[in-house]
Amino acid sequence: MNSKLTDIAIIGIGVTKFGELFHQSYDDLVRDAAMQAVSDAKISMDDIGAAWLSTAFPEIGVFKGRSGMDLCEPLSLYNIPVTRVSNYCASGADAMRNAINALRAGECDVAMALGVEKLRDRQPQDSIVKMMVEYGHPFLQKGFTAAGTFAVYANRMMKEYGVTREDISNVSVKNHLHGSLNEKAFYQKACSLEEVMKSQMVADPLTVLDSCPTTDGAACVIMVRAEDVDKTKHNPVFVKGLGLSISTGWDLPFFDPNHDFLSFEATRNAAKKAYAQAGITNPIDEIDLIEVHDCFSIVELLTYEDLGLCKVGEAKDLIRGKETQLGGKIPVNVSGGLLSCGHPVGATGIRMVVEVANHLRGSAGERQVKNAKRGLTHNIGGPGAIASVIILEK
Amino acid sequence: MSQIKSYGIALPHFRVEDCTLHPKGKKGVMKAVCFSDEDLITLAFAASEKISKENIDGIFFASSSSVFENRYHASFLADLLNLPQGILALDFINSSRGGTDALLLANDLIDSGKYKNILVIASDVDFPGIGNELSTPYGHAACSLLISNEKGIAEISFAKSFSSSFAEEFSYKGASIQYDPRFSRDAGFKTNLTSSLKKLVSDPKSFDAIILNSVYARMGGGIFAKAGFEEKQFARDLISSKIGNTGATHALLLLINEIESEKKHILLVDYANGTNILEIKNNSVGKEKNLQEQLGNFDLVNSYQDYLLLRKAGNFHSAKYDTKEMFSSEMMQEREKETLLYRKGLKCTTCGTIYYLKTGRCKKCKGDKFSTVQLANAGSVYAFTKEHYFPSSFPPITMAIIDLDGGVRMTVQQTDTMYPEKNTLEIGSKVKLVLRKMIENDEKPNYFWKATTK
Repeated sequence: MNSKLTDIAIIGIGVTKFGELFHQSYDDLVRDAAMQAVSDAKISMDDIGAAWLSTAFPEIGVFKGRSGMDLCEPLSLYNIPVTRVSNYCASGADAMRNAINALRAGECDVAMALGVEKLRDRQPQDSIVKMMVEYGHPFLQKGFTAAGTFAVYANRMMKEYGVTREDISNVSVKNHLHGSLNEKAFYQKACSLEEVMKSQMVADPLTVLDSCPTTDGAACVIMVRAEDVDKTKHNPVFVKGLGLSISTGWDLPFFDPNHDFLSFEATRNAAKKAYAQAGITNPIDEIDLIEVHDCFSIVELLTYEDLGLCKVGEAKDLIRGKETQLGGKIPVNVSGGLLSCGHPVGATGIRMVVEVANHLRGSAGERQVKNAKRGLTHNIGGPGAIASVIILEK
Repeated sequence: MSQIKSYGIALPHFRVEDCTLHPKGKKGVMKAVCFSDEDLITLAFAASEKISKENIDGIFFASSSSVFENRYHASFLADLLNLPQGILALDFINSSRGGTDALLLANDLIDSGKYKNILVIASDVDFPGIGNELSTPYGHAACSLLISNEKGIAEISFAKSFSSSFAEEFSYKGASIQYDPRFSRDAGFKTNLTSSLKKLVSDPKSFDAIILNSVYARMGGGIFAKAGFEEKQFARDLISSKIGNTGATHALLLLINEIESEKKHILLVDYANGTNILEIKNNSVGKEKNLQEQLGNFDLVNSYQDYLLLRKAGNFHSAKYDTKEMFSSEMMQEREKETLLYRKGLKCTTCGTIYYLKTGRCKKCKGDKFSTVQLANAGSVYAFTKEHYFPSSFPPITMAIIDLDGGVRMTVQQTDTMYPEKNTLEIGSKVKLVLRKMIENDEKPNYFWKATTK
């Protein structure tokens, strides 16, 4: 199956600053990311043949992003097909997947995938917490916030694998250290283990600094088929593998007696598919950097195992040995991750792709991973239900 | 003669001491108070849960509270208890005599031969106005009696009501009741009680326990003496000082107390605008002491502020989030009640996995044949977390992922935890499921399962 897939090249990338962007509207963010990507690709906006817009939560944001038309208006990009993609935290990656498939199918020659989320025009509690408290089934899972649905994994990891609170919080310490080198991150400040562990408790054992902030932000990629790359003007990065998998629904994980809360089946399936496409058999040796969906620090630990970077139960050793820190064996979240950058839900997946593309191009500045040739991005959405894995190569 | 076949008691887990309610209040004198997610429906449900539901053809619901403010009525309760549709469902409301009224009618209907099993439930949850807690006797409790034509723990050998020619005169003034005790007590209580005893009780010396339930109970001694009773026969009300006066439930609790004390021949006299007189022959020896157990198992409320939070008159919201509304739909609950309420699970006939949530295809083995199974109401904690940001009177809310006995997974809130430092829940803890209100600050309560270690 691998041989049949047309190689896809990312020729333009753009990302806004992430954070409380009070001076920028939803439309401003769309323009900011899209213009950067279009100018990076050295094309005109009207060269774009089709576009995908990823906004996960219009209802808890500014009611924008319910349809593809919210991409068209700010860019005056009319008379082409534009689709809104919504797949929780994997929305951005799924927008890319759809764009890639359209290129492969020949629907268009130049495709745009843009993720944008505007959550901070409201109070922080009014966004994701509101969704968990006021929306959804009146009984099932009522009482959970997003943090709690992942905290129970920490609960089991600590019980089964001897993971400690320190191991979990050290993920946050590492990512905040990386974030201090990222000028587009929301938090650009390193923090100590003590600060993480003593910050406000959100859902035991996860504290505020173990949790990513929801922010505003947008990211955009422009893609073409590899054969259409113009080497005289483009600096391409190639999509070599892409897997997206849904393993469960919204409520089932909490009502399924076979679920062990020690792994995300969706990540494993998505990775398996992406690795097969890219010909990867030993990820820790064959990948140079990884952007993992660290919405909560525990998720990064779990994902080490799900991506096959280590054996089951050994994720703690990677963090204890600083193997995933910049300069370590396999740097994870050198951008600072969601924990530092913030999490504009629809934009995050594409922001990661932009980050890895910058490293592969050698344009990541202070936090550049040396000799990066191959990178991976990972998202997990809903209650660990939807995962995407994308493999990028120079 | 009809029988009390079985009974159930539900007392809230928390008690507030009089000295916590007011500096002049006594230490050691307590009232049973509902947790913030309890009401007269959850107590009535808890009291009735263990009673066999086979062949029940009537349900009577008694409360001194006004029952029509919400969905507080016998039919709703019948549905919660999964009793068959179309049975006799009657409400006995707005009277502290409601409990024995219901018992009386149930007795007559069973005796008539038209009905076989009637569930009589009395449940009372009333809070006096803020500041009136000490001067108003109150306490929260429910009692459920299955009245049957089959042999049970006690026989109702006589039951009659004696109406009063002088109804108590009272009026509401704000939240408190105003009345002139002279008329009610002398022209009402004393006259009516004297006549009813004379008319209805023939062999006073044969009783080994006499229960008098009335606000004027202390003035009853002389009347009983004149009617030929002796002081040693009197069963003193030892419950009021432990849980307060529980309104329509109280007379039934006093009766159960004597049944559990294994008194053989009991006279129950319940006065409020007329007298109900019941004669009970107790056959139960060495049975479980449901009431005694619950009287001894409680936690105290630490402060008046906590008491206000508990009755939600205080500052009710999480420190982090103040919710305005939550999505809820009666139709959805009606449609999904087999799962949500009755806990009917689906067992995959191929691999045996049991699902709480409705499914058409097994996630594990892809089998598509299922049988319906009744899920257990107890189990052990598989994983949990304490949610500090979810709104609650007593944050954090603990979310518990539970493996129910028999092998099925459910995720619910933990309840009856007012003080986090006293919460001992951990992986492996044994818990049981109780039906509680989900939306604490909604005027339209809805009910779902929560876990408790109590």
